[in-house]
Amino acid sequence: MNVTTLKTKAEGQLREQFDAAAGSLPGTGWVGALRARAMDAFAADGLPSRRVEEWKYTDLRERLRDVPAPASATSKPVSAADIDSALGPLAGLDAERIVLVDGVYSAELSKVTAEATVIELMSLAAMLKKAPAWLEGKFASDSGVVVALNTAFMSDGVLLKVRKDQDPGRPVLLVHARAAAQSSAVAVRNVVSLEAGAKLTLIEAHVALDSAASGALANVVTDVTLGDGATCDHIKSLVDAAGSTHLATWNTKLGKDATFRGFQLTASPALARNDINITFDGEGSKLDLSGAFLARGAEHIDTTLVVDHAVPHCESRELFKGVLDGRAHGIFQGKIIVRPDAQKTDGKQMSQALMLSPDAQFSSKPELEIYADDVVCGHGATCTEIDADLLFYCRSRGIPPDIARAMLTESFIGEAVEKIENEAVREALGTLAIGWLRAG
Amino acid sequence: MLEIKNLHACIADDGTEILRGIDLVIPKGEVHAIMGPNGSGKSTLAYVLAGRDDYEVTEGDILWNGESILEMGPDERAAKGVFLAFQYPMEIPGVATMTFLRAALNAVRKKRGEKELTTPEFLKFVRAKAAELGVSDEMLKRPLNVGFSGGEKKRMEILQMSVLEPTLCVLDETDSGLDIDAIRIVSEGTTKLRGPDRAMLVITHYQRLLNYIVPDKVHVLAKGRIQKTGGKELALELEKSGYADFTGQAA
Repeated sequence: MNVTTLKTKAEGQLREQFDAAAGSLPGTGWVGALRARAMDAFAADGLPSRRVEEWKYTDLRERLRDVPAPASATSKPVSAADIDSALGPLAGLDAERIVLVDGVYSAELSKVTAEATVIELMSLAAMLKKAPAWLEGKFASDSGVVVALNTAFMSDGVLLKVRKDQDPGRPVLLVHARAAAQSSAVAVRNVVSLEAGAKLTLIEAHVALDSAASGALANVVTDVTLGDGATCDHIKSLVDAAGSTHLATWNTKLGKDATFRGFQLTASPALARNDINITFDGEGSKLDLSGAFLARGAEHIDTTLVVDHAVPHCESRELFKGVLDGRAHGIFQGKIIVRPDAQKTDGKQMSQALMLSPDAQFSSKPELEIYADDVVCGHGATCTEIDADLLFYCRSRGIPPDIARAMLTESFIGEAVEKIENEAVREALGTLAIGWLRAG
Repeated sequence: MLEIKNLHACIADDGTEILRGIDLVIPKGEVHAIMGPNGSGKSTLAYVLAGRDDYEVTEGDILWNGESILEMGPDERAAKGVFLAFQYPMEIPGVATMTFLRAALNAVRKKRGEKELTTPEFLKFVRAKAAELGVSDEMLKRPLNVGFSGGEKKRMEILQMSVLEPTLCVLDETDSGLDIDAIRIVSEGTTKLRGPDRAMLVITHYQRLLNYIVPDKVHVLAKGRIQKTGGKELALELEKSGYADFTGQAA
């Protein structure tokens, strides 16, 4: 059968950009074939429209009209001070620092002091150029349109490994800095693995330098694999007032008796889609996932989560909180799958939105797919305005209404932010969230 | 001086009249108690004094130091010295008690034309007051009232009252749900605030609180009106006879 799909302008641009860039994208041998296959996989489906269930509320085909050209090397050098300034409250964090500028690893701006016996760090581009056979396996389970595009276009990223039973002692701050003065597209792939018993606090900070153009497109995929007994805190922060499109995917796999605590702060992109895919691969593991999404104006933030309980005796918790003002649209789709063997699964999910405007919109779609019969699973969703009783209580103490409203909004978000284990990171993200709220 | 004149108030949503012509004067330096059966309008009076907009004043006036407060929002009233200790204090997750106290104190001081306290000044001030009420540093760090016991919440109300130093204190059933020890701590904290410049209105269902906070006058509120006024001995009489005389029903 000969199926002709009407290509959108953006789909055409992506194909052209790929054909033009294929020769210069890093990688030899199998890498080129991998990219070409990924591009073909993308082309077969095209950008997802609202007819695709997972994309029901975020019609990418409709929204992604024009794709900016892939970022080229920045002409203006970026200094450590530029990065600090863009990081704001995260700049002072005592952390190992890895910096990617417009999707390219910067050895100059990165500063990692942990011993090589503790962590192993490589630039993905450097490894793609060498194309060792083991690396190909890291892309074996790629799925979905956004990840396919990422595989086709990935320019760089990091390969980070924490060795068996090791703990770097301080967080690893992975900075995704946008510097390009022309709106451009980046595709970054990070592959993180924690060997058995290893510990890691990984913070991904997506920041825009003052000089950065608006209208950028970022596609970032971070795969994290936790070995048996490993503990990972994975925190993502995106605060962007410059009208960018942000497509991010977390693919996380937990071994036996592992603990994964994730947090995502997403504030003010023009469009963000956060896909989070968590798979329990070993028994006795725990997931604690939370996030805050903050949007105003016509901003659109979609968090789509799939938690796959493939094995018994695992626990999952999710708490996502949104503050929506103006005509903003917040989306939370949370699917929990409990496979037939996954007895004694304990899963709870909650999404809550605070509506600051009558024109804001919140779409929540919790889904439980339970095939085992001895499980405890629950989900909830709420959508509220500022509580009038609480407002009265604050005002009866002399707090003026505007300050009381801000305080109650901060309190609403605070419940999610409090889940961040590392105190310094929690405070920095709290400051970022409050900064966003007060800028309104 | 607090002057409540022929105060009528109804529930804003459905117009149900709750207060049906209250007249009450509390001079500075005096503590008055209001007692009454359930549903008599005690809590409504407390809320109307504090400015809750679920109630609408349809007639009469409330003057505080000669000035009508009816058109003022709750925060403006607080700045004028009005304080309501809630029967059911609210929990505010995500806001540390210390942060809340500071926001309240600074807001009130600003409105009163006083300068804000520096961080060390504020901490010293609050810690001293907290110690008197048996409120630990750890409680001050926790989100306001979240996970607090009934007694801890009431102590927190009294702490807020002593920090904000209001001149009109309205205590709405502060004794409800408290054991004897908690009542004593709360009463001692309240009694400390008695002074020549401060008027207090203590609302309670039971007489026992008034053993600790001895009132200058006792008023019986029933069916939305003050039915009887007397000295502290009136509370003891009510304890024996109940409110049946005022409600027209046997207790």
